[in-house]
Amino acid sequence: MTHHGHQHAHGSMHDDAHAGDHGHDVGISKYIYVFLALCVLTGASFFTYSSLWPFHSQPAIGWTFMMAVSCTKAMLVILFFMHVKYEANWKYVLTIPAAFMSLFLLLALVPDIGMRSRWTAEERQQFMAEPRDAGHGEIVKHGEEHAEPAAH
Amino acid sequence: MATAHATAHDDHAHGHVGLEYHPGLPISNGKLIVWLFLSTEIMFFAGLIGTYIVLRFGAPTWPLPHEVHLSEPIGAFNTFVLICSSVSVVLCMESAKKNNTSAAKGWLLTTFVLGCVFLGVKMYEYNAKFSHGIYPALPHSRIYEKADLNYASAVRLRLEALRSGLDAESAAIKERYAEDPAGLEQNADLAEINERLALVSKLTADAQAVETTAATANNVTASRAALNGLANKIMPLGHHPGDESGDAHHGLNDEHHWLKLPIVIPGGNMWASTYFLLTGFHAIHVIVGLIVFAMMIPMTLGVMATGFIENIGLYWHFVDLVWIFLFPLLYLF
Repeated sequence: MTHHGHQHAHGSMHDDAHAGDHGHDVGISKYIYVFLALCVLTGASFFTYSSLWPFHSQPAIGWTFMMAVSCTKAMLVILFFMHVKYEANWKYVLTIPAAFMSLFLLLALVPDIGMRSRWTAEERQQFMAEPRDAGHGEIVKHGEEHAEPAAH
Repeated sequence: MATAHATAHDDHAHGHVGLEYHPGLPISNGKLIVWLFLSTEIMFFAGLIGTYIVLRFGAPTWPLPHEVHLSEPIGAFNTFVLICSSVSVVLCMESAKKNNTSAAKGWLLTTFVLGCVFLGVKMYEYNAKFSHGIYPALPHSRIYEKADLNYASAVRLRLEALRSGLDAESAAIKERYAEDPAGLEQNADLAEINERLALVSKLTADAQAVETTAATANNVTASRAALNGLANKIMPLGHHPGDESGDAHHGLNDEHHWLKLPIVIPGGNMWASTYFLLTGFHAIHVIVGLIVFAMMIPMTLGVMATGFIENIGLYWHFVDLVWIFLFPLLYLF
């Protein structure tokens, strides 16, 4: 009885390591499709950089779009390249706790966002970066006009 | 295997209960270890990326990619390189499964080369930052958060250091040609040093004027304008991607690379810290992967090696996965 159990366990281990995928044959063509999808998606997030992207004035749209694209790419890599789609149920034992723990890790950072305030200590303000005014480079251009006579 | 097991059983049969152990998960120990390791890695990078997001959106200002010499097309190219290498690892495993050892070796070499290309591009990118004085920390970093009097005096100090260095060089050359005035006059090095000295004295005068204006101006706006003018002459800030007007990188530091004057990049220090930390940790992971691939090159990549290839493949896909998130976060956000 125990012997049989052992052999069985070993047998499936053998399958995993050598033949793999519990009988599902992931064809080469599937990898090529996934590869093409990944290339198209990389192009899609790069598109937000081009001048054709219509939402330069609302960066949040671009950020959301890029994160959605990245999550899709990540899912493609995990499911097909890492064979998770074809693995048996053991995959949940390892992936779900890890996913929860990274979620908790991110939640632990939330107070840093929530408790942030616009108030800063004077000594910090002294060396703090100064945000540029609305209209990028405005301060600098303005400064240049005034600096020239001062420099000569 | 059953026989081997029976022998083992006999060895321990002296009054012991014959316990049987079988794996809790139906996968090989190696694969289990890799997956456990990857789950710790997920948490590691989730922490790093989460911290980056908190710092980036909590910062009073964040530099545009152009201001820190970040090239989006290069980043996209590197993403493409890593995706290709992920495919080649998968194809390596498929070939090994079919016991096609030479094809597997070919795909392994392809992966290795693609990994090296990624690192090469990364080095090129790092060099672009370093040559502009963008480092994560002192003493190499030349980044100032804003153009204030502190910055102006740093510029003046740098110019003074340059002047004393050039003076010493010029004195050394003059000493060498002490008995040959004709040779001294024709010395090209000395001519260049004199040219540089002239520029340094002109810039010192400019910087001092700015400092005086800034310190004595009776309103903040005039003082700031003078200081921003100085910073802008040394390194103008970048432009928006759509904005084609003007050359973003044509300041004194770019015209004369030897000047290496302090620069103003608002938010640049925090940017450099997070950028080098995230990409550095990712690059370390790439290097580890490449070491393993290099060790695999002499191996016979047949059916027997499939498990091993699968394990290193899992790791390599994870490295690709991290870059999939880092690319938009660092280059396009």
